[in-house]
Amino acid sequence: MSRGLSFYLRIYVKILVQDLKSKMSYRADFIISMVGMILTNVVGFVSFKIMFSNFSSINGWSYNEMLFLYGFSLIAITPMQCMLDNNWSLRMNVYNGDFIKYCFRPINLFFYYESEVFDAKGLGQFGFGIATLVYAWNKLGLPVTFFSIIKTVIFAITASLFMMAMQNAAAATCFWIDRSFYVLDLTFRLREYAKYPVTIFNPVFRFLFTFLFPIAFIAYYPSLVILRPDKVPMLSWISPVIGVLWFYMSYRIWMRGARKYNGTGS
Amino acid sequence: MSKMRKYLALTRAGIIEELGFRLATIVMIFGNIIYLTVIYFLWRSIFASSPTPVVNGMTFESTLIYLVLATAIFNFMEMYTVWEMGRNVQSGKIVLDLVRPMEYRSYLFWSYTGPTIMQFLTTFIPTFIIVECVTKAIPLGINLLYFIISIILAVMINYSIDFMVGTICLYSESIWGINIMKQVIVLLFSGATIPLAFFPEGLAKVASVLPFKAVYDGPLSILLMNSPEICDVLPILELQAFWAVMLYLLSVGFWKISLRQITVNGG
Repeated sequence: MSRGLSFYLRIYVKILVQDLKSKMSYRADFIISMVGMILTNVVGFVSFKIMFSNFSSINGWSYNEMLFLYGFSLIAITPMQCMLDNNWSLRMNVYNGDFIKYCFRPINLFFYYESEVFDAKGLGQFGFGIATLVYAWNKLGLPVTFFSIIKTVIFAITASLFMMAMQNAAAATCFWIDRSFYVLDLTFRLREYAKYPVTIFNPVFRFLFTFLFPIAFIAYYPSLVILRPDKVPMLSWISPVIGVLWFYMSYRIWMRGARKYNGTGS
Repeated sequence: MSKMRKYLALTRAGIIEELGFRLATIVMIFGNIIYLTVIYFLWRSIFASSPTPVVNGMTFESTLIYLVLATAIFNFMEMYTVWEMGRNVQSGKIVLDLVRPMEYRSYLFWSYTGPTIMQFLTTFIPTFIIVECVTKAIPLGINLLYFIISIILAVMINYSIDFMVGTICLYSESIWGINIMKQVIVLLFSGATIPLAFFPEGLAKVASVLPFKAVYDGPLSILLMNSPEICDVLPILELQAFWAVMLYLLSVGFWKISLRQITVNGG
């Protein structure tokens, strides 16, 4: 990025306002989507309740601790939901040739493409996540200090980087393969399982979900810092660095695909 | 007879189209394996934490078989009908489909049969074989024949539900919102995420009067029966047939009424 953060921030706000204005002209769509989002979260919560009405703990994790992980994972996927929603249209844009229009702007291609759509209904999910987290925090009697809140914020941002990275990389596969929808859909569905402690898996899959499909970083590793402060593994502490690395890598993959793109010629 | 040939031509075209995307099939099978692994480990540790091996009449093994097969059925039936209809309304392409010399509902149904058959072969069958090899709990006999009948009825019911939800797109173009609501309700009340046996009484009652049970629970219970008599499977098939006819009539009626509403872009 040659042109500084403030320049991009100003542009982002400008595009965001335009997008929200155009969304507001389809008010019914906005309301129905919002209801759909809330219903998704309510059903997710009901499933969680049903599970724990039959089983009191999972692998040494109590109901409230699991609730904490659940809330944390909802917060961690919000930035991806809100800011990278245009990744879902990427394959359509690439196939029908519309993607070429993004290539001619004098600003960062990835930034411009993703800034075009802001998915406001993700904020409903964010609220749900915060409420769940606060409730679990309270029930567990965790200390509320300035330091613990700072830690939560930093690690929530870290966790969101992993989710965004996975989604970017998955969306970018459309530059190379047909029907990449399944790749994107699979990655998106994996997030459902981010809310369970990675210790339930055997070593092979624990490795896989830590280093190859890093869903363990979306809730488990970052939450340990708050939930079990006396035995935090090294991976939790260095997760911010790994998160930045993952995001950067996914960005490079995305850009490499975009550079390879040369239109459909129609 | 010539009508049937017309329909089967659509099935064939669908199968050939699917064959063109072999890489996507590999990705899907791979994704399916990851998904099954996650479910396996999750429920294994849930049951390991439980003081008793049998919870609500379900063992770890029976829970796993149920969930894995329910998910496999869900995956091969999800044809994104609602998205297709919604997008066609949005882009105006639906007008071209409406003037075809074939009813829109049948046209869409038969053009989905090809992909459905392919998905059945590439996702359900491998899953079934893995489950059978690992657990040896599925009896291989006459129940398989009844299962095929039951699954065909389930496809019909599922299509009617999807078509009805897709018809709503004629009124509102909020495809994402409409589809997600359908999807989460189906996933919960079909027992594909948590087996119905674990449901508290109130929710179980709700699930039993909804048609989703006939889509997932029906075929699965038949599949798990050991050499069933016709009288064992008849109540399930009857219920499925009831829903199939009922929802067929409802979806056709709803579509006919809604068609008067249609406004299409780009006219």
